[in-house]
Amino acid sequence: MKGYALRPFLKYVSRKFIFLLVTYFIAITIVFILPRAIPGNPLSTLLRQIFQQGQANPELIRSVHKTLMEEFGLGKPWYEQYIDFITRAFKGDLGTSISSYPKKTLDLIAPVMPWTLILLIPSIITAWIIGNTLGAIAGFKRGSFTDKFTLNFSLIVSQIPYYWLGMLLIFTLSVKLHIFPGQGGYSQGTIPAFTLKFILDMLYHYILPFLSIVISALGGWAIGTRVLVIYELDADYVNFGELLGLKEKTVFSYIFRNSILPQVTGLALSLGGALGGALITEIIFNYPGTGYLLFRALSTLDYPLIQGIFIILIGSVYLANFLVDFVYALIDPRIRLGQSEGS
Amino acid sequence: MGNLVLQVENARAYYIVENNYVRAIDDVSISIREGEVVGIVGESGSGKTTLSNVMLVNIKKPLSLIDGKVKLYLNGSIIELNKLPREELQRNIWGKETSIIPQSAMNALMPTKRIKDSILDVMKTHFDEIHENEIIDKAQTRFEEIGVSKDAIFRYPFELSGGMRQRAVIAVATLLNPRFLIADEPTSALDVSTQKMVLKTIQNLREKGIVKSIAFITHDIATVRQIAETLVVMYAGKIVEISSIEEIIREPLHPYTKGLLFSVVTPEPEVKERGIYHIPGTPPNLMYPPPGCRFHPRCEYKLDICEREEPQLKVVNNRKVACFLY
Repeated sequence: MKGYALRPFLKYVSRKFIFLLVTYFIAITIVFILPRAIPGNPLSTLLRQIFQQGQANPELIRSVHKTLMEEFGLGKPWYEQYIDFITRAFKGDLGTSISSYPKKTLDLIAPVMPWTLILLIPSIITAWIIGNTLGAIAGFKRGSFTDKFTLNFSLIVSQIPYYWLGMLLIFTLSVKLHIFPGQGGYSQGTIPAFTLKFILDMLYHYILPFLSIVISALGGWAIGTRVLVIYELDADYVNFGELLGLKEKTVFSYIFRNSILPQVTGLALSLGGALGGALITEIIFNYPGTGYLLFRALSTLDYPLIQGIFIILIGSVYLANFLVDFVYALIDPRIRLGQSEGS
Repeated sequence: MGNLVLQVENARAYYIVENNYVRAIDDVSISIREGEVVGIVGESGSGKTTLSNVMLVNIKKPLSLIDGKVKLYLNGSIIELNKLPREELQRNIWGKETSIIPQSAMNALMPTKRIKDSILDVMKTHFDEIHENEIIDKAQTRFEEIGVSKDAIFRYPFELSGGMRQRAVIAVATLLNPRFLIADEPTSALDVSTQKMVLKTIQNLREKGIVKSIAFITHDIATVRQIAETLVVMYAGKIVEISSIEEIIREPLHPYTKGLLFSVVTPEPEVKERGIYHIPGTPPNLMYPPPGCRFHPRCEYKLDICEREEPQLKVVNNRKVACFLY
């Protein structure tokens, strides 16, 4: 990069970074408040478990309850809990899970994260590429059969609830036709390992959830890109380029390049949200990912686990956003050089 | 008079809108000769830009060339452009033999590519084999000739000032020395000093022999007077008068031309005495043009025949005018 371009670039990056810090603080505050707004007692599940294990001594339950209240700081006033939470969050300590006491929250999240990432990142990117390409072709051939077909197809698939699509896939391809397994990340009874056999088994289980995410996401991308491309069709540089003899192919590449820019931001947000898992998809497919864990945490009101998952999720959204702003600046010279269009 | 460069014969170009025709250009003939700058004036909606599309044969839906011919005279042979398929026009005519400085030159260059890359893309459509360095050298020479620094081709369009961008567009449009160049209101969005500069640049193109002839489209007679010799006045899709520009300014024949001229604010004393004129009424809806002369509903000198018959261009004292008064 040339020297004259570097300074505005650094300024741009540092301003972005400060903005992220402030919003991160606000976001984790909300994450602190929201789970506590759900009615219910987070200790009840744990206490019930102890109760069911036969140690039904009221005295013991009471003392366990007291210890746990202290352990999790649930008895303290909210602001003390809040300060405690924030200081721990900045130290990187996400606390201990309530429902899986005494396991650390992080130890619960870490093993499921790769599953979610392996499922979501390829499917989000695949949907993005296919959707944008379809949409761009449809927009470029506005009014043609290709356009009408793509638009209608996209409208339909984007409006199908993705959990319903997932159930439909399970019902047809798994239950009726027995082509693919309907649930799990791998066959029951196998132990995850880096062997060819396990990887093949994993891919076999992977296809249905992958398809359900790709199909339900690509329609939205296609519709968005189609409109962006149609806006560009009448752009001055398109008309001028055509009258200088530019090939249709080249004109298409110009339009594609300029109209895809806003979609990069959308991709970033989707990728950032990937760590949170596709909650319902994971539940339907019984897939061992973050979404499934979050579902469990929510149903037992496991505050630290909910907070932990959300903090990691928010962190990853921001990281993705930050990285994509960076990428955006690289691919769009108008942003990189920090100048506005003007005469 | 020089040899013919481009000729439009009896062109009718209509926009097809919901099974109806908008008669944007109706029976228009125009000849452009070597070394000539032809000014084309008219108000908005008079068909100027449609005419420029017809001259280039850039016929895209909903525009349709119903009738007429567009001929390009090339090294002794005549090419009927309207018979060529679009791919052929793109590869061998546009940018090479005919070119255009577009109406909105500000955003006419691909915004997210360096200018040199846009230039290379254009070259790739015209030649199977290109030598990048040679093209860049050539382009830089042309940029300097036109008054843009040669480093500008390594910049993005938005990094140049308005005037620079305008001239960069002119340089890109004329890289392959097209015989015929259309300047479609190249100055209307510019401030007066930049206007002057752009006019000079366009004038230089012809003086240096970069282009053979130019059609300068504008709504502003004062601008076109600085550059053109011949003036074509259009009204509601028709040519109403063709003449040398000085003669038109001295003595406009067609009532519309008179209106157009007298509605311009100029410091000349006789204009001050006469006051500023405005043409009554509004231009007709070209989906339902009035019968007879299209100007008759707004014309002060209207005769009975004007409502019934369409006037044809006829020669009056070496000038051409389409009006029953002569």
